[in-house]
Amino acid sequence: MLRYFFAMFAVTQPVLLSDHAFANEKKTEAIQFFERKIRPVLVEHCYECHSANSKIIQGGLRLDSSEGMLNGGDSGAAVTPEKPETSLILDSLRYEGLEMPPAGQLSSEIIKDFERWILSGAVDPRIGNTTPTNDSEKNWDFSEERKKWQYAPLIKHQPPEIQTVHWSRTSIDSFVLSQLEQNEVSPNPPASKRDFARRVAYDLTGLPIAETLLNRFLDDHRPNSKNRLVDELLSTPQHAEHWTRFWLDISRYAEDQAHQVGNNDSLNYPNAYLYRDWVIDAFTSDMSYQDFIRYQLAADLVAPHEPQHQAALGFLGLGPKYYRRNSPEVMADEWEDRVDTVTRGLLGLTVACARCHDHKYDPISTKDYYSLAGIFASTELFNQPLSEAVEKKGDQAKQPSDGMHIVREGPPRDLAVMIRGDVKNQGEVVQRRFLEILAIDNKPYTNGSGRAELAESIIREQNPLTARVIVNRVWRQFFGKALVDTPSNFGNLGSDPSHPDLLDTLSVEFMEHNWSLKWLHREIALSATYGQSSHREYSKTIKDPENWLIWHVPQRRLTIEQMRDTMLVAADQLDSTVKGRSIQPDDPASNRRTLYSEISRMDLNPMLARFDFPDPNSHSAQRFETTTPLQKLFLLNSPFTINQASALAKRAMKTNGSDASRIRELYKMVLGRLPSEDEINAGYDFLKNEMKEKWQAYSHALLISNEMFILD
Amino acid sequence: MNHFLNRRELLIRSGAGFGSVGLAAALGEQLQAEASPQVGSASREPRTSNGLHHQARAKRVIFLFMNGAPSHVDTFDPKPALEKFAGKPPQEGNGKNREGGFMPSPFQFHRHGNSGMEMSELFPNLAKYADDLCVIRSMHTDVPNHEPGLLLMQSGHQQPTRPSIGSWLSYGLGSENKNLPSFIALCPGLPVVGPQLWSNAFLPGVHQGMEVDTNEKTVDRLIANLHHPNMDSEAQKKQIALIQQLNQMHKGDLSHKNLLDAHIDAMQTAFKMQTDASEAFDLNQETAATRANYGDSEFARSCLLGRRLLERGVRVIQVFYVRKGQKQPWDTHQKNNEGHRNLCEDADRATAALIGDLKSRGMLEDTLIVWGGEFGRTPYAQMNKSDDLSKAGRDHHHTGFSMFLAGGGIKQGFTYGETDELGMHAVHNRVHVHDLHATILHQMGIDHTRLTFRYSGRDYRLTDVHGQVVNDLIS
Repeated sequence: MLRYFFAMFAVTQPVLLSDHAFANEKKTEAIQFFERKIRPVLVEHCYECHSANSKIIQGGLRLDSSEGMLNGGDSGAAVTPEKPETSLILDSLRYEGLEMPPAGQLSSEIIKDFERWILSGAVDPRIGNTTPTNDSEKNWDFSEERKKWQYAPLIKHQPPEIQTVHWSRTSIDSFVLSQLEQNEVSPNPPASKRDFARRVAYDLTGLPIAETLLNRFLDDHRPNSKNRLVDELLSTPQHAEHWTRFWLDISRYAEDQAHQVGNNDSLNYPNAYLYRDWVIDAFTSDMSYQDFIRYQLAADLVAPHEPQHQAALGFLGLGPKYYRRNSPEVMADEWEDRVDTVTRGLLGLTVACARCHDHKYDPISTKDYYSLAGIFASTELFNQPLSEAVEKKGDQAKQPSDGMHIVREGPPRDLAVMIRGDVKNQGEVVQRRFLEILAIDNKPYTNGSGRAELAESIIREQNPLTARVIVNRVWRQFFGKALVDTPSNFGNLGSDPSHPDLLDTLSVEFMEHNWSLKWLHREIALSATYGQSSHREYSKTIKDPENWLIWHVPQRRLTIEQMRDTMLVAADQLDSTVKGRSIQPDDPASNRRTLYSEISRMDLNPMLARFDFPDPNSHSAQRFETTTPLQKLFLLNSPFTINQASALAKRAMKTNGSDASRIRELYKMVLGRLPSEDEINAGYDFLKNEMKEKWQAYSHALLISNEMFILD
Repeated sequence: MNHFLNRRELLIRSGAGFGSVGLAAALGEQLQAEASPQVGSASREPRTSNGLHHQARAKRVIFLFMNGAPSHVDTFDPKPALEKFAGKPPQEGNGKNREGGFMPSPFQFHRHGNSGMEMSELFPNLAKYADDLCVIRSMHTDVPNHEPGLLLMQSGHQQPTRPSIGSWLSYGLGSENKNLPSFIALCPGLPVVGPQLWSNAFLPGVHQGMEVDTNEKTVDRLIANLHHPNMDSEAQKKQIALIQQLNQMHKGDLSHKNLLDAHIDAMQTAFKMQTDASEAFDLNQETAATRANYGDSEFARSCLLGRRLLERGVRVIQVFYVRKGQKQPWDTHQKNNEGHRNLCEDADRATAALIGDLKSRGMLEDTLIVWGGEFGRTPYAQMNKSDDLSKAGRDHHHTGFSMFLAGGGIKQGFTYGETDELGMHAVHNRVHVHDLHATILHQMGIDHTRLTFRYSGRDYRLTDVHGQVVNDLIS
């Protein structure tokens, strides 16, 4: 049977199709048309003589801004929107009258593009003098740029005036409430104690709340019961484990390469887990975020005599190595990975966009890019021998399995700008230094590769981005949506903050509290904002469907890590050993937390890949959350879930008593609550069926029911 | 409030990371209004207009990928001048392995069909469909190494950081059958590079190609976790009914419809998929004659399975010509002639069977077939230890090679482009990999410059800043 006309299913529907308001779309299309068809022609054929950068602006005409085109030059307006017949530029292009460009007439297709562009209104986004005048070298006005929110100095704002004063719990709340009040949306009532406990346990530890802890919290009627719960969760090693995975997405942690030639695994990272364990230790001890960055970029330079911190260098040392490395093109690609991971990951800036040309939207030049790339060109990947005993090649471990995969200093070198990203087309040599837009004095780095100085530039308090970026990322883990909705792009094409004063104030307070992530977690977890219920009241949903005002805490699906770990907990199978070598998460014999999964760039474990685990070949800004039938097939039929269902059923069968009491026990084990009458009856009805292993089938159903992995 | 709404619009535009093109419901399909809210934050209005960039000529595409790279001078690009220069080392370059000099193909070339298309004797079956093929003799790519060559051919970029073409198509067009994935990679063993060749990279996970090991013959081994290993379908039906009952109770009168309903729907689809996929992947439903027509190799089974899946609405099929433990059979550094004789025998039969089968079902006209490898092979010999020419190989060669297209609005019985006299370089009507990609997208109704995804601060596309649709190939 041929079936060509099936209705589309929500999750597989084409996503590029219909995402914006229609008017916006038209404008966007018009701008795109300009960017694709018009601007490149102007840059290539006209700017030499008709832009701010021209030695002499010919005919007084500037074609490098919208105004210039409309005002025209000596002969009059170059462009009249919607009127091709009176637009001089068309006459010139057609060689009717003036003959432009003088080097030769452009193709008729290009001329038609201009005609079409003018007819449809000559939409031109190049507004005013801020318009770059030369595509390959832009002149930003840094003092103007630094006034924009992302580069502006961090300021601790006074909490705004609010009407419902008693609502506020931590410094966060008045900022949120003030915007809610201004927009006449009331915050949601608090989540039930049970919902709150479940939510905060998952957000802090990635695990369901333990029964004893839950009961203690439910029975705690004294003031500040939430404080006691949150403090207890923050003090567990599971808190550090959970947040380690958060960091590993950012640092594109992996244990191998996307390529392997034959059986040659010499480029792999069999001891990558040492880096993961270092992150766990750092989070356990609540290392300041400043030190956390400092060690990861330059432990060998800033703490050469602290062997316990050298593994931190895995942040750089576990980067991808590409095929045919050592060829100049491929090394240039590898440097891009380092620049990208450091700048998007730590600064929220897409500096890698400036590899081939100055950044189109942000004040980042190719010189900036190559000044950072030079730091990584001066740094070598290094397999540090794990002990004196291992076989060495030079001073590296001969076998990767005998080494810790970190970096060390190479011969310091400055790179030449590669024009249009071409390694053979070298321009000016640029010294290693920090990004111009964020620099204070912008002195070149002189200490070896410059990594230690780079770390200091990133973490100094005057850098307005580092604290904002990490605070914003942490916020997203709690609310499912960040204050700046593009967590790795704080540039002009990124989102503006929904609560700018909140972001700034929280960032300053974070720094004042010694850049303590635990402080930040606590401040968020104890806020009234985070304590709201997930309920979506219709009137508020209509008013703010996207929850920009944060009038509720949205429902979320558990991550694959939380989901798998929860099944292991329910089945009482979890091996809670902290740290150590990696496991295969779908191996029924390895019941450690999902955090410990081996992460492969070449062949990512299908269980992880199926549930939105990010591609570890590059930095991940945020995870998607997709819902697919293949996920459900995994939950229904995979050996992993079947094993857990079987263990869970056996656990339930051990409890003596009636079917009803077993059902109750199962609900407590899986969902941490007692079933309703209806739910017990549904269980009865199912168990009346004649089938093999019906308790297992029933346990399995509970284990993969929506409630199990949807967080309220 | 105004400011706030504007910002919201801005955030929708830039934050959710969706492509910036407004294709509406593809191919007359009805878009469902509610997406998983975490994926599509903006509301999606159902649209009925044709939302493609232009009229599509192909609804689906199948790549027959000859891993390791076939030799163009032995297949689709006859070079009689090689006889004259036989044994003379090429002048250019200083590579090793060139002492053997130019090596004429031992295979005879003949003209076929009304078009008179020239093909080597290695394709007796395919020759019958000469008038359906469009051979490009002027392909070129960037490097003569498998890994980057494969990545470039599959994702438009040499490093493993970009989505594959199948993922782009899935992202742009979605699936025609909600009970099957939109993009499936059929590979009896892993090719060189491996799963990155069907990776979604930064696109949402749903666009990842589903990998199917066609060494396996039973459906449960072809698709992981399709069926419960020891629960029969009647029992599982009851189990799923229970799950859905619990899910409905959990939902209660909650208003979080989107998220919970998406999960309830996905569970329902999974259940349907168990039967639909079982049927789709079951080659035993084909007649013995059909199966015999394709042959019984891994590649043949992949082709036949590919046809069944295309027929059921899968948008993109990749067939990798690999075998268990042989990641690139076409990489004939030794015994090129013998190797090609064997490989082509298998590829010829199955490819011809697929074309004929699609034709007879009326599907060829809107199915695009793409056949070729990551590059070509040298027109000169690669000598190994022995100086016996019959055992000589051919090395990697990227500056000129052949591929062919068929169906999907492509010219029929048409040979395009030329390499030089000796088959060294594409010299006339050159077609780069990016151009091929642009053309494939074009046939699917997509402007390659407008299928974009906002990631890492810019709009990415399959062809990056390159690529030109080769209009001459389009009928």
